[in-house]
Amino acid sequence: MDSLHAIGFYVSSGVSLAGALGVALLPLRDQRGVALGVAGIGLAGLYLSLSAGFAALVALLCYAGGAWLLAGPRYRSLESVAGSVWRQAGALGAAGLLAILAYAALRGDFAHATFNGGTFGAAAVGRLIFAHDALAAEAVAALVLAALAGATAAWRVRERERDRSR
Amino acid sequence: MSVGLVAVLFVAGGLVAAGMFAAAWRRDLTAALAGVPLMFAGAGAAFVGIARFAAAGSSIAFGQEFAVLLAIAAVALVALGLGIAGREGSR
Repeated sequence: MDSLHAIGFYVSSGVSLAGALGVALLPLRDQRGVALGVAGIGLAGLYLSLSAGFAALVALLCYAGGAWLLAGPRYRSLESVAGSVWRQAGALGAAGLLAILAYAALRGDFAHATFNGGTFGAAAVGRLIFAHDALAAEAVAALVLAALAGATAAWRVRERERDRSR
Repeated sequence: MSVGLVAVLFVAGGLVAAGMFAAAWRRDLTAALAGVPLMFAGAGAAFVGIARFAAAGSSIAFGQEFAVLLAIAAVALVALGLGIAGREGSR
């Protein structure tokens, strides 16, 4: 990779990270929409500097659409269903999961890892997910299922309380 | 000046972290939804970087395919979430 591409990569990375921080921290929704668009521009530049031109074009279009949706007039605010105790419990659980992942990342030797699933492609990823890493994939699927069931249960409880209050 | 896989993974990790922060920090569900495209962006950047640098001997198009899929899925998720929020808000 020559210097021009490297400069483009670092500038685009900075733009995308600045946009991402704007999405996380800016107070107004139209500002967050603009920040998502900026993050999309940075991401497209990053893809372009990594020789992924088509992905850059699609990312630019998709993130521009997402920015328009966030800043547009059809946006409706929706308060969270979960109570503060459950939110704190969830935050503690997420912190514990992050600690486990950080420990695994520190113990692992990812910097020198080599991909040994054969030729890198859809078949190799399928072999890894459904054969070599089947247990981990099942665990993630179970977590997602539990999260969806919990969200559905929370919505149903809220709907019942809303119906009773009418 | 050069770029390697580690730099790409750092940027990808930063995007995922910012997305997770946005999703956890916002009290409003529709605002928290804006963190999801950022997480998908981080995953796409990691895929493109791995396909570019670490998957020697195979096509780099695979990482690009995944990045395209993730970008489309991200905007579809935002549209779906805002649609549900709009329907719920109008009740």
